[in-house]
Amino acid sequence: MKKKVVAMVLVGGRGTRLEAITKSTAKPAVNFGGKYRLIDFVLSNLSNSGISTIGLITQYEPYELLSYVEHGSTWDLDVNEGGISFLTPYTSMEGELWQKGTSHAIKQHFRFIEQYNPEYVLILSGDHVYKMNYNLMIQQHIESKSEITIASFKVNDDPSRYGILDIDGQCKVISFDEKPEFPKSNLASMGIYVFNKSVLKELLENSEEDDVDFGKDIIPLALKQKVDICAYEFEGYFRDVGTVKSLYQANMDLLDNPHYLKVQDYKDFPLFTKSVNLPPHHIVSSKKITNSMISDGCLIYGEIIHSILSSGIIVKEGSIIKDSVIHPNVKIGTNCHIEKAIIVEGSVILADTSLVFDEVTVVDNDFLWKIGELNE
Amino acid sequence: MNNNLFAVVDATFKDNLEQLTLHRMPGALPFAGKYRLIDFTLSNVRNSQITNVAIFPYGNYRSLQDHVGSGKKWDLDRRRDGLFILPPKNLYISPSEMITFQRMYEHIEFFKRSSQDYALITSANIVWNIDYYDCLAQHIKNDVDVTEVMYQNIRLKTFIISKKLLVEYIMTYDSLEYRTMIELVEKAPNLKINIYKHKNYTRTITDTFNYLKSNLDMLRFDIGMKIFTPERPVYSKEKTAPPARYLKNAVIENSMISSGSIVDGTVINSVIARDVKIAKGAIIKNSFVMSNSVIEENSNINYCILDKQTIVKKNSNIEGTLNSPYVSQKEQIVTSFEDLKVLFVASESYPFIKTGGLADVIGSLSRNLARQGVSATVILPLYKKIRESFIESLKSEFTKTIIYDEERYKVRIYSYRYKKVKYYFIDSFDFFDTENVYGYENDTDRFAFFNKTVVDLLDDLDTFDLVHINDWHASLIPILIDNSKHKGLKTLLTIHNIDYQGIAKNNIIKKIGIDNFIYKDEMINFLEIGINTASKLSTVSPTYKEELKYEYYGKNLTYSLLNRERDFYGILNGISSSFDPQIDKAIKTNYSVDTFEGKLENKLYLQKKMGLVVNKDKFIIGMVTRIVEQKGFDLILNSFDSLLENKDIQFILLGAGDEKYIAELEKLEQRFPSKIKLNIGYDATNPNYIYSGADIFLMPSRFEPCGLGQMIALKYGTLPLVRKTGGLNDTVLKYDPITKKGNGFTFNNYDANEMKNGIISAYNLYKDNKKDWNKLIERAMKSDNSLVKSTQKYIEFYNAIVKN
Repeated sequence: MKKKVVAMVLVGGRGTRLEAITKSTAKPAVNFGGKYRLIDFVLSNLSNSGISTIGLITQYEPYELLSYVEHGSTWDLDVNEGGISFLTPYTSMEGELWQKGTSHAIKQHFRFIEQYNPEYVLILSGDHVYKMNYNLMIQQHIESKSEITIASFKVNDDPSRYGILDIDGQCKVISFDEKPEFPKSNLASMGIYVFNKSVLKELLENSEEDDVDFGKDIIPLALKQKVDICAYEFEGYFRDVGTVKSLYQANMDLLDNPHYLKVQDYKDFPLFTKSVNLPPHHIVSSKKITNSMISDGCLIYGEIIHSILSSGIIVKEGSIIKDSVIHPNVKIGTNCHIEKAIIVEGSVILADTSLVFDEVTVVDNDFLWKIGELNE
Repeated sequence: MNNNLFAVVDATFKDNLEQLTLHRMPGALPFAGKYRLIDFTLSNVRNSQITNVAIFPYGNYRSLQDHVGSGKKWDLDRRRDGLFILPPKNLYISPSEMITFQRMYEHIEFFKRSSQDYALITSANIVWNIDYYDCLAQHIKNDVDVTEVMYQNIRLKTFIISKKLLVEYIMTYDSLEYRTMIELVEKAPNLKINIYKHKNYTRTITDTFNYLKSNLDMLRFDIGMKIFTPERPVYSKEKTAPPARYLKNAVIENSMISSGSIVDGTVINSVIARDVKIAKGAIIKNSFVMSNSVIEENSNINYCILDKQTIVKKNSNIEGTLNSPYVSQKEQIVTSFEDLKVLFVASESYPFIKTGGLADVIGSLSRNLARQGVSATVILPLYKKIRESFIESLKSEFTKTIIYDEERYKVRIYSYRYKKVKYYFIDSFDFFDTENVYGYENDTDRFAFFNKTVVDLLDDLDTFDLVHINDWHASLIPILIDNSKHKGLKTLLTIHNIDYQGIAKNNIIKKIGIDNFIYKDEMINFLEIGINTASKLSTVSPTYKEELKYEYYGKNLTYSLLNRERDFYGILNGISSSFDPQIDKAIKTNYSVDTFEGKLENKLYLQKKMGLVVNKDKFIIGMVTRIVEQKGFDLILNSFDSLLENKDIQFILLGAGDEKYIAELEKLEQRFPSKIKLNIGYDATNPNYIYSGADIFLMPSRFEPCGLGQMIALKYGTLPLVRKTGGLNDTVLKYDPITKKGNGFTFNNYDANEMKNGIISAYNLYKDNKKDWNKLIERAMKSDNSLVKSTQKYIEFYNAIVKN
């Protein structure tokens, strides 16, 4: 059956820079904002944009992600035709197909795209924090008669960390430099692309064996071949949360700048997430709970200040949590003091533990073991 | 034993949850923030691995259907078996205390098709966590016919029965004496019954008190742990809401707060559902706030149940009690009660003029409203009788010219302040200067003129927030208002008696000056016009309100009432605090709930007064009533001969009315002169002798919108024996021999035999079990049917009308 748009979501990232947070899970399955996972953003965006034919290309530690996404009913993506398909590495006549890069992954699963014979292919990533209606980008792509459209956003800090687009007055891309030393503009690629399927196919077929990445290889190749490339400027809030610091900062944005993501007024453009089937949280006794977000199933006896708590957390009497992000099912004993920490899922913090940091620090059970040993 | 049980979830009944269940069934009531009541039963079903489930809904089951969906959340979305919602086929079966075999018969296919050997019949309004297979195991082990599941002394309307036996009962429902499982267990002979006692926390949600209480119970750690267990979780429909958010000024003590809520105020000992906004300075205590409500700055909320999307305005002070919580309506805008101005329009009001119960209601309701801070005004026609008794004290206000039927009529307005209530009287020589209140050929003209004058007077009097009109005599007020410059003023029509409707030629509409009215027929019906045009409607009890949807009760107006179903409420009247055996000067000995032995002296005094045998062991049936068909005299005349012949009973009646029945009753009295004493005429004796001295108070009414007699009897510890209809059903709770609960006796059908059996079982209890009998008296005397309570409900309702 023919589809107009097929979305390919790259969720294979290892996310090594997220340290212990991704020890046993793929980056898109990382917790965010109390009750979300990073992948909720892209899947909710797709659902809200009415795009329901989706290939999810996985690679690193896919189990948790697979069991989380299931058939996609959480995002209303469990439709009869299309829906979410998991595309995993497989062994074929040509050997093992381990993905070497973003475009390489798409090339391997091009057969999936072909079966729907779409006009457009939307390439997305599973680990970005943003709310975006892809239809607006696709609409611009169609209206400007482009062959490729690259979503972009204005960066205020150091542009040399991004892929920078230089455009003419009509949004047409003139040059593209991956992490340039001397950026020509502050318009950065979001790593989100709309391709005319035929153009994508041709580019991938014509690419060399070591052309494996869209940013590094395919886009420069297309520019060289004079393909029409346009930039779509996204004006909303967008974060690539590749590092502990950026992940922490994006979490804190929910508290300090709720208007960025508007998770609280979600009626028009909801952010869907799988519910955990726990009763509402219970604040049993607490001197202070301010500027915080708390999820279902928590049992709170301590003080919570400027922090985000996921579900099923226990905070005992006398403990103080400040400027921190606590992942699900963490148990915190009495009289603990926690400041500027990301506590990883399932950690158990014994009574009287002090985890006060100047720089945001990821804490998991291994980390806690080490402290325990040091103290002895 | 696995998969040998199918479930029947009973959601066919309506309980006394007031406006909370107006647009939803009890099973769809929100609970503990993010759940609905039915989640508990369905989760138990799922955790017991039951895969074949039928829900029998009642009335408006949209919100239940929406919530349950395909049953996926409870693993009931399957190929074999699954979840079935089986609506009623016959809309004329009025609701019962639980699902009837007749109702099951409508879907007999479900029962026949079920492959499991046993049926679980349970209810959608229970909060608990139970393994039904444990009940089944006990059922099989004890080799019984029926297992009833109970918690402590609470009957849970939950049973286990073999499919074979159940299908037998269903197939023969029309020849059985028992209509439901409850009746079966109570009445069926030779039935082997086992009681399974569930040990953990269980509550059935049947009124606003235990609804609020059980919600707040979830804040107790020991109880919450028993209901929300990780091994047997409670499942619910998924919603999308971010985590709850606390702002700078949040103060929280022992509360449950659900996703999406934003809290900047103080929350103490409360349960907050999803997406509730609580502003700075707001204080919420001991309350349950449902989803999407907004609590504005500096408002104060205590012991409230706020339905979805309620908005509590700035600085409002809303307070209920645990026993009688304040209940808001869906989407209501709530402010403090002060400054509410209500105008009553009725044909009579005590103490100025009284021909029936309407006068008592208007008089006492307006007085109590005024006492509770509402500004109440009553307008009455100045009948001859009022002039004769009161003209000296009335203040003449002004005169006004009213145009009626193109003629000019002069009226004079008098006023009087009676116990904080402002009264206005309309003096018109042409229309109201009559001996009686009703009974004239031109009654419809008289009251049409009355209505026209009232609406014209709105120009001259202070402004009102609401006009509360009563019965047909005021039913033209809404269209008159709509055609005046007061258009938009809210009206509430209360139907006290649907038998009188005011029928007139259609030109009467022209006479009151309305030209654009579309006529259907040559005759028009005042009450029908009122029903179609008033902002909201009410009648005098929740059950009667339900009954009016059936032609047997609603008669020719059933259809009009069904059209207004969404705006139609039932609010029970109450009795004045002067009905109290502790302070009643008329009775022989005063007594209270602690000293009700004193009631015995009143009984002996009554026997003496009536000239009957004075003996404390005789069983006295008392009645104070109008003697008319409606009050059930056909049943009495058809059964009392055999009853009095065989039992040690005395029957004392006070009343007046229909000659035909009086003659028959007198014949009966002649047959049993030593057992019967009739007091014919309204003041033939003091009714309070009977209220205080009888053992049971009989009201076998065919229909009874509200009824006050049973409320007075309850207060005096005289156990009412009533037919389950109208207000009787809302006030009398049947004695349950298993749990010993209740405050009287009831029977279902308008049938002489059923009434007789009811009297005999009360008689037997009286003779054989004084302990239970006394317990019942205690419960009866503790029943709260006070005017204060009923007035509170009216205020809540007025606010809901005015502020929306």
